Amino acid sequence: MPSLYRLHRAALCAAVFGIAAISTSSAEEIIIGAATAQTGGLAPYDQPALAGLRMSLDELNAKGGLGGKYTVKLLIKDTRSDTAQTATVAQELIDAGAKIMITPCDADPSISAGQLTQPLGIPTLTLCGSAPVLTGAVGDVMFGTYPADNVQATAVADFAVSEGKKKVFLLTSPDSTYTANLPEYFGKVFEKKGGAIVGRGTFSMGQPDFSAEITNIKGLADKPDLIMTAAYEPDFPAFIQQLRGAGVTIPVYGADAIGTPTIKALGKLVDGVVYTAAGYAEPGSKLEAFNAAFTKYAGHAPESTYEVNGYEIALILDQAVKTAGSDDPKAIRDAIAGLKDFEGITGKITYAGTDRMPLRPVALMRYEGGEGKHVETLIPEAADVPAP
Amino acid sequence: MIAQQIINAVSLGGVYALLALGLAIVFSIVGLINFAHGELMTLSGYALLASLVLGFPFPVAVLVAVSCGALAAVAMERIAFRPMRGASVTSLLLTSFAVSSLLKVVFQNGISARPQAVAMPGWMTGAFSFGDFTIGVGPSISIVVSALALIALEVFLRRSVTGTAMRAAAEDFDVVRLMGIPASRIIATAFLLSGLLAGLAAMLWVAQRASVDPLMGFTPVLKAFIAAVVGGLGSLPGAVAGGFLLGIIEVLLQATLPGAIAPYRDAIVLSGVIAVLLVRPQGLIPAVRAQRS
Repeated sequence: MPSLYRLHRAALCAAVFGIAAISTSSAEEIIIGAATAQTGGLAPYDQPALAGLRMSLDELNAKGGLGGKYTVKLLIKDTRSDTAQTATVAQELIDAGAKIMITPCDADPSISAGQLTQPLGIPTLTLCGSAPVLTGAVGDVMFGTYPADNVQATAVADFAVSEGKKKVFLLTSPDSTYTANLPEYFGKVFEKKGGAIVGRGTFSMGQPDFSAEITNIKGLADKPDLIMTAAYEPDFPAFIQQLRGAGVTIPVYGADAIGTPTIKALGKLVDGVVYTAAGYAEPGSKLEAFNAAFTKYAGHAPESTYEVNGYEIALILDQAVKTAGSDDPKAIRDAIAGLKDFEGITGKITYAGTDRMPLRPVALMRYEGGEGKHVETLIPEAADVPAP
Repeated sequence: MIAQQIINAVSLGGVYALLALGLAIVFSIVGLINFAHGELMTLSGYALLASLVLGFPFPVAVLVAVSCGALAAVAMERIAFRPMRGASVTSLLLTSFAVSSLLKVVFQNGISARPQAVAMPGWMTGAFSFGDFTIGVGPSISIVVSALALIALEVFLRRSVTGTAMRAAAEDFDVVRLMGIPASRIIATAFLLSGLLAGLAAMLWVAQRASVDPLMGFTPVLKAFIAAVVGGLGSLPGAVAGGFLLGIIEVLLQATLPGAIAPYRDAIVLSGVIAVLLVRPQGLIPAVRAQRS
């Protein structure tokens, strides 16, 4: 490629993504590569998280960059929600000099990017991928940032048990790690605490016909008093619409992926649905202040807690670079892995002693009258959390 | 419970039949599998959402949405397919893929990548008891609408001059043109009908899933394609038969497969499709004339 053209493309890149690519002689620069979905099914999750990350990086850059020393240049490439494409753009970002990699909100594409960053020792953080198998599948450079599926499931199960629920029906889909495993983690905790699994059903993601499965649920001899699923949009709206349409009033509980404006907009249909979030903005809390600042920054209120989670990723990186005292990827990785009781926006975040899925609080929420109401915020007992 | 599953199967089959018919009607005339058919559904879905947001009463919103689907199909033919008339099957196929991808990106960037909730009226999520089982209002509407649409189409094709010309064009387009029937009108009508069917199917589809999103057209067009192929490409009765067959097999398998095998449902369905094609390579009810190039 002629160098003039390359220069031109770099300038275009900077213009498109609004990144100040000016490097002064005094400040050092660190490149963060973001292989995230701007289009496709993961975009509704990646985009809010990325918006939070960008806000945080902008603020840090104004104060001198990561660790007050390294100005961040954020390169963003679209994965089109495709696992193979994620590997391709991750490679491009590595070639562009990325020393830290950000990957999509799902285990499978994050693992494909991790396969490339692992041999090079580049610390890799998923935006909100929450499958606990994710970090083990890649290796020591891979970090989760969002509360892991087994942690979320334990929180929901603890709550269901405390409500006196006894019998659960698990609805899973083998099409993704999240939809396949999260309800099963729930089942493990629920059974251990005296509950029973009275039935299991499956669905194909993207296929809106749940009628056969719902008829099966209605025909169960042992009636469940709870349905647990990790289905999200567009499957979750279809499921609950048809479930209620068939006259079934059994409560449905889920996890973080249904804490979105789309599900909230379903209104009465989702009354009583319990889900999780990375935090809850109590009056006077740091999260409330963040929500106000984000609204000012982005021109709209945060859609979910993915924004604050993205914001916290940059804070984690900032702390790690401070601790490492350099921009060496290996030193940054070690610093992240050693974080203990780091004060984020939503609460304390700990990596030390984990397999790189963070210990952090889970907020339980419930839809009521078209609003997400806070139930409680807790960190489940480590002994209760099922192994990945 | 068996009666319930039969209703489920007929309801799903009806939607698949409408979709397959939309594909088949265009294919029978122009020899094009329009993979942008799903995006016509997406467009109708967004039109429904917009109408509801603007405060239109529900029946008006449905009318607007279905008309949007039909008009969009005609516009699609004018803009994308008319310049390609007479091109090879492959070129037409690629054009339809291009239109499909283009519309998806426009929806994603112009509206939102996030699914938008569509609040269906409360009575649609209701159910009424009938003996010892309950029938949902949704599936009942689905069955009635599919049946009415199929009958109306049949009457149109049998009784009207344009309909007769279309049936003739499906058999031998050149002779129809020699008879003095304008080709453009026949083709435009075929797209209009396919758009109407896409719009209707979209309403039933959206009523089931309670949301619209930019990629929602992909699964239905795939199902429609499978149904149309099983039924016999280009054959209208075949498309209907294929649609119902696919719906019935899917529901039957979902209802009866044990948990461990359930994830293989789609693989089993597609194996069934291959088996049907091995026995009847031209489909269940083959088209009167084989595919032209």
